[in-house]
Amino acid sequence: MQRITIDPITRLEGHGKIEIFLNEEGDVANTYFQIPELRGFERFCVGRPVEEMPLLVNRICGVCPEAHHMAAAKAADAVYKVDPPPTAKKLRELLYSGFYFTDHTTHFYALGGPDFVMGPDAPVAERNILGVIHKVGLEIGGKVIQARKNGHRVVEIIGGRKVHPCTSIPGGLTKGITEEQRKEIEEIGKWGIDFAHFSLKLFNDLVLGNKTYLDLILGDIYTHHTYSMGMVDENNKVNFYDGKVSIVDPEGTRIGKYAPSEYTDWIAEHVEPWTYLKFPYLKKVGWKGFVDGKDSGVYFATPLSRLNASDGMATPLAQEEYDKFYKTLGGKPVHQRLTTHWARLIELLYAAERIVELATDPEITSPNFHTVPTQTPTEGVGIVEAPRGTLTHHYKTDERGILTEVNLIVGTTNNYAPISMSVKKAAQSLIKKGTVVNEGLLNMVEMAFRLYDPCFGCATHSLPGQMPLQVTIRDSNGNPIEVLKQFC
Amino acid sequence: MAEFEPRDEQSFSNQNSSAHPLIMIFGLGNPLLGDDGVGWVIAQEVESRLAGAQKNLEAKSNFRVEVDRLSLGGLSLMERLAGCQKAILIDSIVTGCNPLGTVLHFEMEDLPAEYIGHLSSAHDVSLPTALEVGNSMGVQLPQKIVIVAVESQIIYEFSEEISPPVAAAVPEATTMVLNLLDQLIN
Repeated sequence: MQRITIDPITRLEGHGKIEIFLNEEGDVANTYFQIPELRGFERFCVGRPVEEMPLLVNRICGVCPEAHHMAAAKAADAVYKVDPPPTAKKLRELLYSGFYFTDHTTHFYALGGPDFVMGPDAPVAERNILGVIHKVGLEIGGKVIQARKNGHRVVEIIGGRKVHPCTSIPGGLTKGITEEQRKEIEEIGKWGIDFAHFSLKLFNDLVLGNKTYLDLILGDIYTHHTYSMGMVDENNKVNFYDGKVSIVDPEGTRIGKYAPSEYTDWIAEHVEPWTYLKFPYLKKVGWKGFVDGKDSGVYFATPLSRLNASDGMATPLAQEEYDKFYKTLGGKPVHQRLTTHWARLIELLYAAERIVELATDPEITSPNFHTVPTQTPTEGVGIVEAPRGTLTHHYKTDERGILTEVNLIVGTTNNYAPISMSVKKAAQSLIKKGTVVNEGLLNMVEMAFRLYDPCFGCATHSLPGQMPLQVTIRDSNGNPIEVLKQFC
Repeated sequence: MAEFEPRDEQSFSNQNSSAHPLIMIFGLGNPLLGDDGVGWVIAQEVESRLAGAQKNLEAKSNFRVEVDRLSLGGLSLMERLAGCQKAILIDSIVTGCNPLGTVLHFEMEDLPAEYIGHLSSAHDVSLPTALEVGNSMGVQLPQKIVIVAVESQIIYEFSEEISPPVAAAVPEATTMVLNLLDQLIN
């Protein structure tokens, strides 16, 4: 194979880019997945009061402001060394469960699901939420809109606003909820449990009941054996809002759990010359390249990895689905990455059950929702599970609480190495000498990264802010022989 | 911090209390991302110019006008547009075909697919698709959406500064929005 050198100045910004290099035989030699990065947020924050962060970070990303809001609030608690009262923690987790409910619904019905409901090689004009509505029935569209509205409503009641909450401050929240609001949220949660069951049944009927899809899901194209990451509670059950981060090796053995303040003992970042983004890896294992296995520090952080890294779900109905998931797929851990779509729906059910649990907690309407910070602020780390990966915020301040240093490891960044590996493997499996590369095949390569539910903050860009994907296939001399573009 | 606390994403139930039909004017973008935030600045200017005049406007035209600043796209923006009859969206745009600061306006259906920018997102569907979803579900959506956009540059560094040529376009864009509003009302 001819050596291809990518000049750093050719780093492309503005859209996602997959470069596929063929060897002299016409097979795939290597691939590069490049994405734009918004820079300078950490620098932008320095000099501001730490208590502004939960509001400010809402604007980092157009996709998951609620996750940044929560991670920032927890980091600010830690900076002030203040422990919010139980009611505040429960209200925050309740808000967060409402956010998860909307987010996972959107991914399944609008982004990941159409590949299966309509088929991976269905015409692009049909492979979207409208296609799903036409195929499954008008009723499904109404349910999706209702599900999103319900999740937003929970965020609004507790967070003060839909989408961009503004009530978390160091030590808790600025407001509580009334009995009337509690009842409304409880009803939303109950409705959500039915909706999650409906969604799981849809997945069961349309995907698991289809042998072609099942072969695709269980086949080798989308399989990787890496470490799994996910936050767990004191019983090692999945938790989105609080707990320790559990790491499980490719064979399913837990190698440890770390508290937020210990993250630098566990996570390091690898730099490649062909991209601005860094690749986080497990420090204790080490970076061995983009390879699978127990000796490679590559890990993934998704709904599937969260299930792998835990001992189960903390709610009964989600636990039933968890058991069924591993029984069907042959035990833990599961490495077939397309099953992430199934795992996401199990988390959807958990989120709905958790909404009901928290809304019926006797403390949830207590007026004791804030502890006034009294310590001198210094340094703190806050971690939550964003829908698309473990989210870490690390702040240092002076004695007045003015930020002097900020470090963020955002959800999708955890998955940059595994996404790159998945894209390469899919391309190598699907593109062989003489293959005609068409839109359907391109979509199957895209499915390799779409399952990670990646978010690169692109929603915040100027027009054209949508993240188009460009796939360039190059011959053994590095000359482009095919360029395909589509929005992803 | 006032600039980070717009009246966005409020409950519709609070906004549809009047029987008057509604026109929504939304500035889109990220106020922390340089030129990307120009839609917010224009919306703020429009809001200031309309302040005090709204009651007269309502009495004269029978329309209510609501101005807001949003960092939303796709389904979320469609949901936010629910309940209004007409809308003006203000945004930055990067066509590369016009000098920086050029003010453009067009109807939603005339917007080429590659420029749907904030109307879409990497984790959502495009606004045209979302509107189709909403329409098929019987959501009350605006019959007419007009877009006012300022030619900008793509920014990758977080900043509250808008580049001078783009900032210079704010008065012209504000006037254009107000003229369009006048046409929508009449």
